[in-house]
Amino acid sequence: MTRKSETVLNYFVLLLFTAVVMLPILWTLLAALSPNMDGSASTDLQWSNFASAWTRGSLGQALLASTVITVGAVILQVLLALGSGYAFGVLDVVGGRVLFPVILLGLMLSTEALIIPLYFQFREIGLINSWLGLIVIHVGMGVPFGAFWMRATFRAIPGSLVESARIDGAGTWRVLWGILVPVSRPAILTLVLLNAMWTWNDYFVALIMISDPTKQPVTLALGAFQGRFTTEFNTMAAAAVIICLPILVLYAFFQRQFIHGVLSGAIKE
Amino acid sequence: MSTGTTGLTTPPRLGRGGAGTLVEGDAPTGSARRRNPNRRMRWAGLLYLAPALAMYTWVVLVPLVQSANYSLYSWDGVSTPTWVGLGNYGDFFTDPDLRAALGHVGVLICFFSFLPIALGMLTAAIISRRNLRGAALFRSLLFLPQVVTTVVTAVVWKFLYTPDGPINTLLRALGLGALAQNWLGDVTWALPALGVIGTWVTFGFCMILFVSGAQSIPQELYEAARMDGAGPVAEFFAVTLPGLRPQLAVALTLTITAALRTFDLVYVATQGGPGSSTTTPALLLYRKAFQNPDVGAAAAIAVVLAIACLLVAILIQRVTERES
Repeated sequence: MTRKSETVLNYFVLLLFTAVVMLPILWTLLAALSPNMDGSASTDLQWSNFASAWTRGSLGQALLASTVITVGAVILQVLLALGSGYAFGVLDVVGGRVLFPVILLGLMLSTEALIIPLYFQFREIGLINSWLGLIVIHVGMGVPFGAFWMRATFRAIPGSLVESARIDGAGTWRVLWGILVPVSRPAILTLVLLNAMWTWNDYFVALIMISDPTKQPVTLALGAFQGRFTTEFNTMAAAAVIICLPILVLYAFFQRQFIHGVLSGAIKE
Repeated sequence: MSTGTTGLTTPPRLGRGGAGTLVEGDAPTGSARRRNPNRRMRWAGLLYLAPALAMYTWVVLVPLVQSANYSLYSWDGVSTPTWVGLGNYGDFFTDPDLRAALGHVGVLICFFSFLPIALGMLTAAIISRRNLRGAALFRSLLFLPQVVTTVVTAVVWKFLYTPDGPINTLLRALGLGALAQNWLGDVTWALPALGVIGTWVTFGFCMILFVSGAQSIPQELYEAARMDGAGPVAEFFAVTLPGLRPQLAVALTLTITAALRTFDLVYVATQGGPGSSTTTPALLLYRKAFQNPDVGAAAAIAVVLAIACLLVAILIQRVTERES
């Protein structure tokens, strides 16, 4: 095969794949603007679908719920990740040799293995139908990845940097916030993005822990919405776009970090 | 990654709790040793670790033990539980729904794992070629479905699949109207139709994984292959594929465990129907735990799923390590 025909074939295959991947997404965008209930494309762009989806799907409420849950969970997750990563990676914490593998076990465990006792336990202590309850679960389940991620990040920082700060008399707290955290900004940003994506997109935990419609996050709201308005695809598509938008915007700005983060999370050699 | 996870409940979406993130060797590295924290600092470390450890114990360790404990009882969630030993695990051999669900997992593995990996390899091989313009753009676009919430994916595809929806319209326009179906409403087609959604979601993830792996393959190997007169296809099999073994292990582990655990997608798109043609173990777990409570049986499913995911992770790691 000649060079040129090879290049043409390569682009043909890539464009074909990109088209197949993008068609459902583009079609959803068009449907969200369609005046027709079946979502068929039209030149008459119906921006009011978004307003209609917003009010009828109580999306304002649901977006508030998702925002509170995501922001709360992400802040706590990152703080715990910094603390545990610091303890394991830099301070060589007492008992770390045993505790780190125990925490890593959590990376292999899925939500399903834990959710049933969590439900009954949280029901007893009143954390059902509560944003705090969801935050607690996301934070606890985020510990393994966070500890793993920040430990690796902190370990990659040259030891001399930490040592010279210590010689200057910095305590453990100052070393963490004055040296390690500023140097690790990109890795911390990646952790924030991934945690935000996982928490925002969660459906399973919310489905089990939240039954009160006024408390539900966006994923549950969309699930309920599509049950009620099966025939109005244009409004539903508009709701879907609104719900995905925050993460899509983050992705558009930070795709390098997203992709880098997913990869580094998957492979550590 | 995680979790899924968490996350990662359904389609192979990388997340915390997505069994199988590979574990790095745990020997303290040279640099950590050089730092040589004094005893006081090693104890101070406990203060930094304590909050994470407390949350982890509360939300992961204790419930894990409780799940195993629940699975030994028959309990409707309200009255007093009765001890049944391993009786709930017997359901896996006798309950027809559960057996059907396990069979469905096999089909889903093809669509969530094997197919995306094959397609991901193909595109990654193209994207990683030198001088390909727009590689970064293709990469970002193909990864996009991973970012979209599963519920949105399920809702959109549910509509794409309707009898008068875009897919059937397209088939008719191409003169293939005979193939048009009510995809998710047909006992034969519903499961593969769900599978295709999984392929759509996962493929970009596999591709990204392989692109990153391909970057670490030394260029000299390609040059050597070319000198031996290898074409692009021979080059792929001689150089690229062997070089991607670690990434292949990760992709297999994450996608197979995701297939085992499929929930969101099925729950939103088909509720397990028509009939029980698209039920999955995780869906039965949900029903048994929260709809018609048989909590012990649900916990047994949870335990079996967790063990299955762990075994898949260990097995794949073993196999790929032995070969390399």
